[in-house]
Amino acid sequence: MKKKTKEFLEAHKSDTPSKWREEAEWRRENWSWLRHSQKIAVKVLLQMKKEGLTQKVLAERMNCTQQYVSKILKGKENMSLDTLSRLEDALGISLIYDELVSYPTMVAEEVFP
Amino acid sequence: MNMTFDKILDNDTLWAVRYDNAADNALQTLFSQWNDPEWLVDFFLANMADLESYFKITDINQAIYDTIDDNQRIQCLILDLSPDADLDKIFRPLENSRTSEMLLGKEKAKIKDRPKHASWLRIYAIKLEPGCYIITGGAIKLTRTMQEREHTIKELDKMEQVRNYLINNQAIDADGFVVFLSELQ
Repeated sequence: MKKKTKEFLEAHKSDTPSKWREEAEWRRENWSWLRHSQKIAVKVLLQMKKEGLTQKVLAERMNCTQQYVSKILKGKENMSLDTLSRLEDALGISLIYDELVSYPTMVAEEVFP
Repeated sequence: MNMTFDKILDNDTLWAVRYDNAADNALQTLFSQWNDPEWLVDFFLANMADLESYFKITDINQAIYDTIDDNQRIQCLILDLSPDADLDKIFRPLENSRTSEMLLGKEKAKIKDRPKHASWLRIYAIKLEPGCYIITGGAIKLTRTMQEREHTIKELDKMEQVRNYLINNQAIDADGFVVFLSELQ
């Protein structure tokens, strides 16, 4: 790079450092689960829009705080299967599989008559 | 518009603009938006008609998933750029018809050879000199031309403003560029 251009850019550099590399590296390191978290958030958001559902109502249905719902919707939450199941139940959609899988009711008397 | 500059690569070949004392630069803003499910859902819901008419895609879920995946590819590409990488192979003139060099040319970068459909992610930059660029912004481009939508017109304006800022503040050696052009001929 020419000296004049470099000197100009250096003289006009930002006061605080950028976080782009730090955040991009974090996303790459966590990509294996992060991509699922982001895509689940997309599904949840679209369903909420469809139903006209607020974060508050979804939180009530899931029996969790609104702050936690907000975290899920940012797509950066490494959710447990329990949380995923509660989200599915609250929205009535499948998040783990393409189609909603219905399991037979497990009643002891039926399994072990 | 006030602006400062962040070095993206340590070898001084890639920079990004930070506008009006923003918390971070244009590249970081893009990566944040393209990783934010709420931002993406709002954007694609508002621009679904363009996605359908230009790309013939009706599945909004898939469109957003593709955006997230393409963004990840761009991030990794920039993270992995080696000091001797030739940025002239990544950025291309903004106007497809422009084949000659111009002073502080407007440029674009996009993912090539994407399966199923062309990538709609764009990173925009000003070419400071051969191999050196300054990122001004980017967009999800769902129309044939940038002039058709407000959010892409805004990116054109930003490129123009950065270009004018660099010229007005004599950030580059314009005489050197004339010499460079004459050497090309």
